[in-house]
Amino acid sequence: MDYTRQEMMAIATGREFKDGELAIFGVGLSMLAGFFAQKNHAPNLMAFTEGGVYGSTPVGGLPWGIEDNRISANAVSFTNGIDALGFLVASGRVDNAVIGAAEVDKYGNVNTTGIWAEGTDPWKVGKYTLPRVRLNGSGGANEIATGAKKYLLMVTHERKRFNEKVSYISSPGYLDGGNARDKYGFPGGGPSAMITTLGILRPDPVTKEFILTGYYPFSSIEEVKENTGWDLKVAPDAQVIPEPTEKELENLRAVDVTGSLRKKK
Amino acid sequence: MNKSKLITMKEAVEKYTYDGMYFGHGGSLPVGSDCVSFFREMVKAGIKDIDCASGCNTQGTNLLAAVGGIKRIELGFSGLEVYGFANGLKRAVETGKTILEDYSNGAMPIRMMAGALNWPFVPTFMNTGCDQQWASADDPENYPNTKKIPEITDPFTGKTCGAFTPIKPDVAAIHVTMADIYGNAIMLGTEWNRFELSRCSKKVILVADKIVDTGVMRQYPNLVRIPYIVTDAVVYAPYGVWPACSTGLYDSDEEHMFYMNKMLKTEEGTNEYLEKFGQYGDVWDYVNMIGQERIDKITNTDTAFLMDPYRQWIKTDAEIKELLERR
Repeated sequence: MDYTRQEMMAIATGREFKDGELAIFGVGLSMLAGFFAQKNHAPNLMAFTEGGVYGSTPVGGLPWGIEDNRISANAVSFTNGIDALGFLVASGRVDNAVIGAAEVDKYGNVNTTGIWAEGTDPWKVGKYTLPRVRLNGSGGANEIATGAKKYLLMVTHERKRFNEKVSYISSPGYLDGGNARDKYGFPGGGPSAMITTLGILRPDPVTKEFILTGYYPFSSIEEVKENTGWDLKVAPDAQVIPEPTEKELENLRAVDVTGSLRKKK
Repeated sequence: MNKSKLITMKEAVEKYTYDGMYFGHGGSLPVGSDCVSFFREMVKAGIKDIDCASGCNTQGTNLLAAVGGIKRIELGFSGLEVYGFANGLKRAVETGKTILEDYSNGAMPIRMMAGALNWPFVPTFMNTGCDQQWASADDPENYPNTKKIPEITDPFTGKTCGAFTPIKPDVAAIHVTMADIYGNAIMLGTEWNRFELSRCSKKVILVADKIVDTGVMRQYPNLVRIPYIVTDAVVYAPYGVWPACSTGLYDSDEEHMFYMNKMLKTEEGTNEYLEKFGQYGDVWDYVNMIGQERIDKITNTDTAFLMDPYRQWIKTDAEIKELLERR
């Protein structure tokens, strides 16, 4: 079957959503994964955007933003950021969510803020120096990371993005592992999986270190390890994740009408 | 409520904005609502050293940062969503011209709410336990930072949480879909931070796509989330969010979103952009500059039906000119 790695990632992400869940999707590809789930197997998934756009589905292609007219054309309610990100997300009410990342580490911490020159990461030098490349900041992902009952990280699997420790924690995963989140009293439970272009990593229940639990028909354990910047552990029962079914691909492509996921191989 | 607050864009910038002000803008959404044409007017007036309280970056902050007008900015998101990185702001941050203090998208309206309530601080789990708390661009030597989002003790449970500082801008410019001349406003689409921002700012300027008769406010008072009491001035700004979108009226101008952002990547490009799109006169000149072809394209929006209940109250350009002359 002909499908891209991005499409496999989106479908694997979508499979994590259960019918009836209260969910929030970020902008871009993660939104496609969420609406794919709603179309494919979770018709009662209750989705909203961080701006408080409720009950809508994209019209005319991938929305340019969480507030774009493409996602506002058939809404049943418009509210605001305090309501959506505060009352529903940061409070701990949301069941599941997807966020993207420029960089992740083995405890699921996310950096979307900057790329620092080698050795100048704030935690290494003990001060905040300017990033060499400024990225986009946390957006609403920080509320999802601290508030959602669980959430998924959707990341392109490249060695430069998968590091032992991120340069900057924009959105906290399991911090230094174990029960490190407890100190901060976060209402949310932390990331439940990293769904990547090469496979799926899930946290060890005790140490919270992410380990490889599955790979795709086109990838392999070796390929995932080569593209991961820490010594990736492999679950004893790691297995091949089923490739997209015809129905899944059809439903994904019905949502991704502008072909955003088909552009990259 | 019987005094008209309708003034021109030029008058609003001259009267209310100044170098070094603490400036809030709404909705401050990258693709959706923001007072982008108000930023263009500030660039024309050469306003500088602005301290910005934003929700997200927009083409407004992207442009003002590109010309070096933003000294400091606090925000939750510094990009343009699917349109990519915001090149003007990115360049200003990477070269040290703009100090960017990071918060999250949820943090900014909560801090505005605290400002509106005149609270000394607001407790939070958001932005704690991560570098949003530990790293401060305002206080870079202090890492992990203890002043930006200090740890406090919940007096009831003894547990730890963080404390946010409130936001109280000197001036806020807020895009609204429609406003009457007294300063009552209706917004379509997400409000994002506009409700809180209208209550925490010392001065509030409404930047409205449509000027409407007060009859619409009396018909739908529940929708009037910004009433005349908090408003200091009303500006008529058709296509004021362009090239981003205004729900119910126009979609984002895809070509110009990319073009503008590409030009803001360099100083030369920014100058060239301003020669083409920063030299207009009044608001009618501005509409001519956008051009009918673009306007036809962006107003062909799937959200147009949202305006149906309001059309009978919309003032024509001729009526608005008369209202401005009658002052």
